[in-house]
Amino acid sequence: MAHSRSTAAQRGFWSVRFYLTVVAFLYVSQTCVAEVASSVSFVNDVVPILTKAGCNAGACHAKSGGGQKGFQLSLLGFEPLEDYESLVKDGYGRRLFPAAPDESLFLRKASGQTPHGGGIRIAQNSAAYALLRRWIAQGTPYRSASEPQLTSVEVQPNLGLVKMNAEQQLKAVARYSDDSVRDVTNVALYESNAEAMATVTESGLVKVHDIPGKVAVMVRYQGTVAVFTAAVPLGATVGTLPATKNFVDEHIFANLRQLGIPPSTVCSDATFLRRVTLDIAGRLPSEDEAAAFLASSEDSKRDQVVESLLRSPDYADFFAGKWTPLLKNRRDDASDITSNFAFHAWIRDSLLANVPYDQIVRELLAATGTVIGNPPVAWYKRVKDPKEQLEDVAQLFLGVRMQCAQCHHHPFERWSQDDYYSLAAFFSQVGRKPTGTRGEDLIFHKRGVATAMNVKTGMPLKPAAFGDSVGEIPPDADPRLRLADWMSSQDNPFFAKALVNRYWKHFFKRALIEPEDDIRDTNPPTNPELLAALEHHFLTSGFDLKSLVRVITQSQAYQLSAEPNEHNLADRQNYSRFYPRRMQAEVMLDAIDHLTGATTRFANLPPGTRAIALPDNSYNNASPFLQVFGRPDSLSVCECERVQSSSLAQSLHLINSSDIKSKLAVGNGRAATLATKEIPDEKKISELYLAAFSRQPRADELKTALEYLNEPLLDASGNPLEKATAARGNFQDLIWALMNSKEFLFNH
Amino acid sequence: MPSRVFRMCCGCSPAISRAVMMICGTATLISSTALAQSVCLPAPRLLTMMPMGGQVGASVEIVITGDNFEDTDELSFSDKGITATRKLDASGKPVPNQYVVSIADNCPAGVHEARVMTRLGVSSSRVFNVGSLPEVTRTAANASLKTAMPLTVDSICNAVMTAQVIDYYSFEATKGQRIVVDCAATGIDSKLNPVVIVADQQGADLMVQRRGGAISFTAPDTGSYVVKLHDLTFKGGSQYFYRLALQSAVPGELVPRLPSTRTVSSFSWPPPGLIDEAPLAESEPNNQHALAQKIALPCDIRGSFFPAADVDTFEFSASKGDVWWVEVASERLGLPTDPSIVVQHVTGEGADEKRNDVVELSDIASPMKVSSNGYSYDGPPYDAGSTDILGKVEIKEDGIHRLQLRDLFGGTRNDPLNVYRLIIRKAIPDFAIVGWALHMNLRNGDRNALSKPIALRGGTTMPIEVVVVRRDGFDGEIDLVMEGLPDGVTAAGIKIPSGKTSGIMLVTAEQNAPRALVSASFYGRATIDGNVVTRPCHMASMQWPIPDASQEVPVPRLLADVPVSVCGSEFAPITIAPIENTLWEVTVSGKLTLPLVHTRRCEFSGDSINLRTFGPGFEGVPAFDVSLNDETSEVVLDLAALKTPPGDYTIAFYGSAVARYRYNVEAVTTAEVALKQAQQKAMNVKVEAQSLTELSQTVPDDQKVTAARMAQEAVARQKAAEAAVVLADKLLKDVTARAQPKDIVDIVVSTPIRIRVNPAEKK
Repeated sequence: MAHSRSTAAQRGFWSVRFYLTVVAFLYVSQTCVAEVASSVSFVNDVVPILTKAGCNAGACHAKSGGGQKGFQLSLLGFEPLEDYESLVKDGYGRRLFPAAPDESLFLRKASGQTPHGGGIRIAQNSAAYALLRRWIAQGTPYRSASEPQLTSVEVQPNLGLVKMNAEQQLKAVARYSDDSVRDVTNVALYESNAEAMATVTESGLVKVHDIPGKVAVMVRYQGTVAVFTAAVPLGATVGTLPATKNFVDEHIFANLRQLGIPPSTVCSDATFLRRVTLDIAGRLPSEDEAAAFLASSEDSKRDQVVESLLRSPDYADFFAGKWTPLLKNRRDDASDITSNFAFHAWIRDSLLANVPYDQIVRELLAATGTVIGNPPVAWYKRVKDPKEQLEDVAQLFLGVRMQCAQCHHHPFERWSQDDYYSLAAFFSQVGRKPTGTRGEDLIFHKRGVATAMNVKTGMPLKPAAFGDSVGEIPPDADPRLRLADWMSSQDNPFFAKALVNRYWKHFFKRALIEPEDDIRDTNPPTNPELLAALEHHFLTSGFDLKSLVRVITQSQAYQLSAEPNEHNLADRQNYSRFYPRRMQAEVMLDAIDHLTGATTRFANLPPGTRAIALPDNSYNNASPFLQVFGRPDSLSVCECERVQSSSLAQSLHLINSSDIKSKLAVGNGRAATLATKEIPDEKKISELYLAAFSRQPRADELKTALEYLNEPLLDASGNPLEKATAARGNFQDLIWALMNSKEFLFNH
Repeated sequence: MPSRVFRMCCGCSPAISRAVMMICGTATLISSTALAQSVCLPAPRLLTMMPMGGQVGASVEIVITGDNFEDTDELSFSDKGITATRKLDASGKPVPNQYVVSIADNCPAGVHEARVMTRLGVSSSRVFNVGSLPEVTRTAANASLKTAMPLTVDSICNAVMTAQVIDYYSFEATKGQRIVVDCAATGIDSKLNPVVIVADQQGADLMVQRRGGAISFTAPDTGSYVVKLHDLTFKGGSQYFYRLALQSAVPGELVPRLPSTRTVSSFSWPPPGLIDEAPLAESEPNNQHALAQKIALPCDIRGSFFPAADVDTFEFSASKGDVWWVEVASERLGLPTDPSIVVQHVTGEGADEKRNDVVELSDIASPMKVSSNGYSYDGPPYDAGSTDILGKVEIKEDGIHRLQLRDLFGGTRNDPLNVYRLIIRKAIPDFAIVGWALHMNLRNGDRNALSKPIALRGGTTMPIEVVVVRRDGFDGEIDLVMEGLPDGVTAAGIKIPSGKTSGIMLVTAEQNAPRALVSASFYGRATIDGNVVTRPCHMASMQWPIPDASQEVPVPRLLADVPVSVCGSEFAPITIAPIENTLWEVTVSGKLTLPLVHTRRCEFSGDSINLRTFGPGFEGVPAFDVSLNDETSEVVLDLAALKTPPGDYTIAFYGSAVARYRYNVEAVTTAEVALKQAQQKAMNVKVEAQSLTELSQTVPDDQKVTAARMAQEAVARQKAAEAAVVLADKLLKDVTARAQPKDIVDIVVSTPIRIRVNPAEKK
């Protein structure tokens, strides 16, 4: 087995493979060459070489990238016939010269004999060059009638336990319609789904790094893919695990045992209360809630608080704020306010009433009528193009990114343009009538047979869901209802999985499949058994969102401490500890208001409306805080639009902005109130810690705070400040300090 | 005829107008007038009433507000069972804009119209509700849980929403008690888009209703509960009123919704003579063809679009050549539905069954093109069409047919209250008509959607646009008739021609028509199958005066009756009339010269007015200009060019003009007089106070106390009088400012002109 000598590594799929060197082709499979010695096939022999050499990559000659210098190939060789036409016939056949193959422009450019913007792709002395030369000399045949067709590619092994810092060579085997096989290791393409954990060379050598967990390598040959999944153990001894609470724990702990990663201990009551309140209700616990919870000795108090939070309107407010940006509830015009408020309220009320998830999606997908009469219609106001509708639905509700398949075969998946337009056909009979509000249509099912034309083939396609037939849809039936039926069927492989994966990420920071809306065979979950179990639970519960939240948050896995032990600091995907995350923009704003006693006012909304209950993105413009901390503008179905990373601007805003200063100094705020409150300073400090961290201060913290509060303050002239003024200032400082701590800013 | 040309300023009494009329204004064409113009002369509008209703048999004090609302007088109602008297203060004087309304025991529950006579005539209508439950009016702010207003179950609360506020109410319920919480708002002319929430005692939401429906709440425990109420977008203000009803009900009991006004589209329902309840009910399951409900034609069926994506399939036999008319009512019942029908001919059975479309029926088209959302109006802002169905099924082959009925809005909705009525009948030709005050594009970008009461100024001709929905193939002409008008008021209908969908009713007040208010009779008359039939013409109006429909969606509705008034206080800016009110005759190939007289009572911004012509047979008259500076003009109608067939016609000329209107000039005179009186009084009191003050210093000691007291009282009277002067001065300034000439563009319509076109003379 040949190995690549290239030392380059860590390339993304779309990057131009400049380092995909000549050398690789010096070692092109002898088996392959031998098999094709008599007749070279364009489909089975030439195209793989073009793909491996990167000729048909997006930035080079792929049509999707424009095709450099007018030489256009299908992306990754998915359309051999088109490529053949392009190479052999386009440009008046000037690219090939069968009478003197070495003089072919194609070979001269690829081998660098003629200046080539892409550099040397195929060395003149390589086997690949020789094969191409022979193909040209043979008269550039497309394929012979008896030639077998590629049916699949396999990777050997497809599973493996690979130790840290070890290597694993993969073998790629192509299978053909006549049951023949070829070793295509050196012409297949490879890509790791987590390059921090493992990288892979062009010749299929996997190099595992020092992060334990599961990592996958996608192997692609022509239009087929296979996946190698490596389990990378830490290898530590896993002692006594917390008692399992439900199936979540069983699968999490089983995985940890397999990988040898000891989990952190279960977190404290205070940490749990704060964590679960932030995660379910999007707010900090009140001081009273925290005090009562800490004082309670009931065994079931953690379960009870989960139930209480799920019953609260805060849950509905918070999760409505999660969904509405993804559904593009965006204010572009002042007149959008009614539809945006109605749409947000529909989501919020549905969550409050715990309407089954499939029903919510159904109401959205098949919405008809007016926005006021039926608020999900507002989605069709925002998303008007049927293509955008299918793409959003696929990505958001099914975890499938279909955008690529509009123009070409999906590079990572099995989805074709036919699949794309068959999905578009579900939305082809959406009728619209104007209403009194500009830009707002009334939506109805327009009678007719639903079809959508594949723009490439010109063929009209009937609705089909990722290749699944949904039966004959008569002209009177709304095809969107059939799509909703298909999505909510018990054996749908996408719908429930996409949701549980998305919600898992909400509570654990990292989805079982990352990104959460890119679920495909070539991107396997880190814990497939757990994902399957969650999916099963969600399906059997009748798509009960609260039940899903309950089973997650009541698990011991969710309640593990964020404090790493001596082994699991490197763990980033096995949930051996809680992964801390910064509070999102709205939650943090509300939390700061809660801690300071200030109130943020929002246009058109009643005083006291919290940031997590904001109906649309329009409030971002007037709030530097929400902007700086990354509240999304409802432009995308991707959760990544919400910025959760940290920045200098965020730090400066918290440390020194007039916004924060005014909150600290608000007249009836917490600092002012505490400064005049007739209770001991210890109790005041206790109140602050309960408000900020849901816990009592430790002795050292109490001592530090007391000392600070009792420090005399001087004015600019060096004179002691008046006592009340000094007290107010001291409490403002103390609150400021607590607010700027990671313990406050993070959910942990 | 100069002697017939009145030179009185609109907005003024005759005496004052003579002084003003001499000022000549410069003139420009309408199309080049400044955009600072206002649109439409002021009309009186009743905007709010508090409370908005009362219990049958009760008496209730109400306060009203409105636009152009001086000298409010008689408050009247569309139902005679409701009467009102002015509320009197302690001294027996009427309190402005306050009334005591009495609701008779036999007054029907529901929504009724209220309007008030003002200086400018009858106001636009506002809904007055009559119900069977006791009513209260919120008097104190209830914007928090702590200040929640306690309500008794089985009562109605009248209140007004404040912007960016949530109103809180509390009520007591026992465990298992069912309480229906309903809120009337859009259906009673309010701008409020109500969100109703039932919450627990701590204010945590339990149930929410944002789509205008009622909440059926069953108390989980005995105790206090909270109703929270706010606007969908947290708007508020006096126009955002509501009535909140809490009604107890047993499980399963159908509690009627609070009554509501009718949509414009509902004017075409029901067909004349229809019995109240359909004799046949749909029978589920009938979603599939194999489960079609068999019916015999004709039929009258009641059904429901329930559950979601419901399809009701009916099967009947029909013979080739049969013609059946299908009518469905659902949207016109006030429901948010869009019925759709497909009729198919069926051959074969089981797996061999084949179905061929016979006809697809959907909306009832608006008789006139409704204005788009464009820059300016390109049609009326009223939609008389419906998402309901009224259409024809022509049977092409003998045999089994199936009709499938769906709600195009019902794919995901589960509401059994979305009912329908399906009628399949042989043709019963008929018609239904509805009218509204004409709207025109009065200036570039104008999209006014103002409510326009029939409050006539002397010399005005008010155009009312009338449209028809024709039923079952009726194609004949329809005369428009309005009767029972005040003295000095006449009405002339420009008929709806055969096959056409619209006509115009012209209501004209003579210059000196006395102030009056009547409820007129307005109907259409046609000959159908040799019989003369009359059908009432419903009137529609905007709920609110919307100055710019591009900023706020206007909401029109049907009115219950047709009030017509003459104000007796103002005149039309201009009257254009033929020199003689006679029947003008012309032959089909001749030319008719019509001398017109312009009675101008106001300055105008512009030299001329461009006129077009109302009236079938004459709509092709080329637009022409008449000078606003001249007192007469002529227009020549070329019948040969028009090709108008012989017959009797009514026509009118119409256009728009920019009047330099002065609002309530009489108020200036009155205020001037009042100011002088106040100043005189202040002077007198001042002198009195000075003299008493001086006197108090000179009287003997034993009288000093009394004298000092009298002096103090006089000084107090002086201060009060001086304050009254300030107020009178402010009032004068206010009315003077409002009476300043202001450019207002409005529709101008000539008085009706009767023309007889005679056949060509035989040679």
